[in-house]
Amino acid sequence: MAQHDPDAVEVCIKIGGPAGFGIKAAGQTLARLFTQAGYETFDLTEYPSLIKGGHNNYHLRVSSEEIFSHVEPVDVLVALDRDSVVLHLDELTEGAAIIYDPGDFDMSEIDGIPETVCSVPIPLKEIVYEAGGIPIMRNTAALGAVLGHIGFPLDYLTGSIEQQFAHKVPEIAEQNIACATVGYEHARDHDCAFPYEMAPREREGDRILVDGNEAAGVAALAAGIGLYCAYPMTPASSLLHFFAKHGEKYGVVVKHTEDEIAAMNMVVGGAFGGTRSMCAASGGGFALMVEAFGLAGVSESAVVVGLFTRPGPATGMPTWTEQSDVRFAIHAAQGEFPRVVLAPGDREDAFHLTWQAFNLADVLQTPVIILGDTYLSDNRQSIPPFDTSSLEIDRGELITEGDVEEYARYRVTDSGVSPRAIPGVKGAEQIVNSYEHDEHGYGSQGEDADVRISQNEKRMRKMELARKLVPGPAYYGPDDADVSILVFGSTKMPVREAMKWLARECVSVNLMQVVTLWPFPAEEVSAFLGRAKRTAIIEGNFTGQLQGLVREHCLLDVDHTLHRYDGRPFSPEQVCRFVKEVLA
Amino acid sequence: MPGVKEYTTPHKPTWCPGCGNFGMWEALKRALSQLDLDFHEYSVVWGIGCHGNGADFLRTQGFHALHGRALPVASALSLTRPDLKVIVEMGDGDGYGLGMGHFVHSLRRNIDMTCIAHNNQIYGLTTGQASPTTEHLMRTVSTPGGVLETPVNPLGLALAQGATFVARGFAGDIPHLTELYKQAIQHKGFALVDVFQPCVTWNKLNTFSWFRERVYKLEDRAHDPTDLQAAFELSLTTFHEMTCTPEECRVPIGIFYRDDESPTYNQDATGAQEPGHRRAEKPRDISDLIASLG
Repeated sequence: MAQHDPDAVEVCIKIGGPAGFGIKAAGQTLARLFTQAGYETFDLTEYPSLIKGGHNNYHLRVSSEEIFSHVEPVDVLVALDRDSVVLHLDELTEGAAIIYDPGDFDMSEIDGIPETVCSVPIPLKEIVYEAGGIPIMRNTAALGAVLGHIGFPLDYLTGSIEQQFAHKVPEIAEQNIACATVGYEHARDHDCAFPYEMAPREREGDRILVDGNEAAGVAALAAGIGLYCAYPMTPASSLLHFFAKHGEKYGVVVKHTEDEIAAMNMVVGGAFGGTRSMCAASGGGFALMVEAFGLAGVSESAVVVGLFTRPGPATGMPTWTEQSDVRFAIHAAQGEFPRVVLAPGDREDAFHLTWQAFNLADVLQTPVIILGDTYLSDNRQSIPPFDTSSLEIDRGELITEGDVEEYARYRVTDSGVSPRAIPGVKGAEQIVNSYEHDEHGYGSQGEDADVRISQNEKRMRKMELARKLVPGPAYYGPDDADVSILVFGSTKMPVREAMKWLARECVSVNLMQVVTLWPFPAEEVSAFLGRAKRTAIIEGNFTGQLQGLVREHCLLDVDHTLHRYDGRPFSPEQVCRFVKEVLA
Repeated sequence: MPGVKEYTTPHKPTWCPGCGNFGMWEALKRALSQLDLDFHEYSVVWGIGCHGNGADFLRTQGFHALHGRALPVASALSLTRPDLKVIVEMGDGDGYGLGMGHFVHSLRRNIDMTCIAHNNQIYGLTTGQASPTTEHLMRTVSTPGGVLETPVNPLGLALAQGATFVARGFAGDIPHLTELYKQAIQHKGFALVDVFQPCVTWNKLNTFSWFRERVYKLEDRAHDPTDLQAAFELSLTTFHEMTCTPEECRVPIGIFYRDDESPTYNQDATGAQEPGHRRAEKPRDISDLIASLG
């Protein structure tokens, strides 16, 4: 089996088939069910950028112990077409099972299936036909078969079905339950042995199932967001859907704009009015936002921008993951202005960094980027409910009511931050300006050399304040380690998982996650690398963008690097192999 | 009521002597004064161009945005600040060229704001290139052989795209323009006032005298501003031959069309009913939402 922890009960299930078969929804039903039954889950969805056909798959890791990432192996493969067998054959563990409908393809014609792998033919379509259901219900029959195979009680699935279809006519739930039950019985009757019985278990504390975009969305709501604007682009689209679904209840203006240019300009307009405003896109959409991103910088607008990356350039690989937009985020837009770039590494980070991003944007009056990627945006993990007790709103020097005297929007101050009175405050005459400007915002005065210098220096001073306010790097593992690894963003997850496995083999690894990429924490990174025995950077790009920042800001380099740019996230297996090579 | 002169700033206009922007500036100050709008009750958003330099000359709590992007900034302000009157000032190159996408989509949204277009049919600030509204075959520095395109018909677009207040003014008739502005600002929904404002430096064709010989006021005729079809036909009279005589090409000014019944986007958007900053006075209670995740 896939498990690395000898004390854990762990199983990995993969559902594969063409797009349009409801594979992700079926998989998420399983994730929900195992989470409710006391297990930890982590899913990984792979899908091409099309609506029908192609090959989709959903991988679900279920464990009795704490887990940090997905893994490569598969113990139970639900193959809804022949491709799903062929494409994932080498992922199957010893004793793995393939659940399939013999009406779809002939398993005996597929070469290379190991003898240790057991085929479990289930007549999925027939089951649906007998139940009087519709074709999509074959997923339910397959889920029933999965539970039957691993010996897990069926009532978790039937309960979930009843809940899911409670608002529909009763026949739908009844037909689904019939499909699940017959699928379950078929698998039980089959003589393919599963090494152990999976049973519901007791667990301390509640769990929620959440992906990175949902985590960012709830944090933004908690932080008082009033405007969200976006143009659909994978993997950011689900955040637009999140706000579209919940915005009305919570009083958020949510706008699917004509393009990303409008989205970014709108959030700058929202911020001008004093509203907490956010937009998000992937790299291509952010490319369109860039001019207005600079506008946010010079106009000192408090905006939050989600940049959830995928392999580029241009359209690239829309539904896959990559970490190749670090430099783009740090350098986007002409001219120089202060910005903050935060890189969440998991769902907890996505939650806490998002509400902090709104505070940083307000206090610094400058744009803040949340730099994520598809791996984090798209995939769900079971985690304890977010702890909102530390969450606070700090709007900085913001005046929203009453009146002001002798007001100057861009007053030169020691900190670089000027008190900000929003429109509607009496006496707050101002021009918030895309041109360089004087203290009142008048563009005609901004070309004076002294004015330019004082305003430019005032803005850039905020970077010094930012250094004091931004979250520092996160550390994991022992101080004295064989290998010290530096990462940013979602690579944290597989590395943390690998560290757990390596520790069992007496290989000690410590990890620094650069949480704030800009301003770059040169001092902390230098100290971490300076005291390490062997150093390595693992990052999901070709050119070594984090490594470049280390060279530039720490005047240091690392001993080893691991890159990945095939659209897939690092796996803990890959990290383990790398660490062992480094030590060999 | 603040007097007209109070709507100015310490900075004197830098437009060319005789520029059409002066008339538009004067008319807007008069309209704001006559509507008794205090300086914190309206916000003006400008694009980039000669018109945009006006940001320094009008007293407001405003925003001088990017080239072509005044409309999205103003749209957001309108949707998040129901307590403010929002006015956009944009140019023909700015709003009908680079910002055309925002223009068309703003029209169909009926967001509550006033959009004033400084239409001088030329690029002024960048020294005389053809704009989207430059007349067919006119020679400019970027079209030495003459413009080969059909000019954009902003009023026709606005009517086709569901705008609820469509008007045209002339910078040479300040009292008439003031009245248009007042009605546009008071209108609930997206109000377009396209204003012919001759560029005295770069456009030697569409001059003040060219317009004076051709403009006529719709209110002097039997035009019914609720008649969409009639308005549409009027909008087509934007197009003329460069050589046309004053008798051949007449330029109507006034309110082409208005619809005071259609709901605004603001009314229909639940989140837009309260100023956005009130949403962030304390953390939202999201415990129900967190518990429901999964």
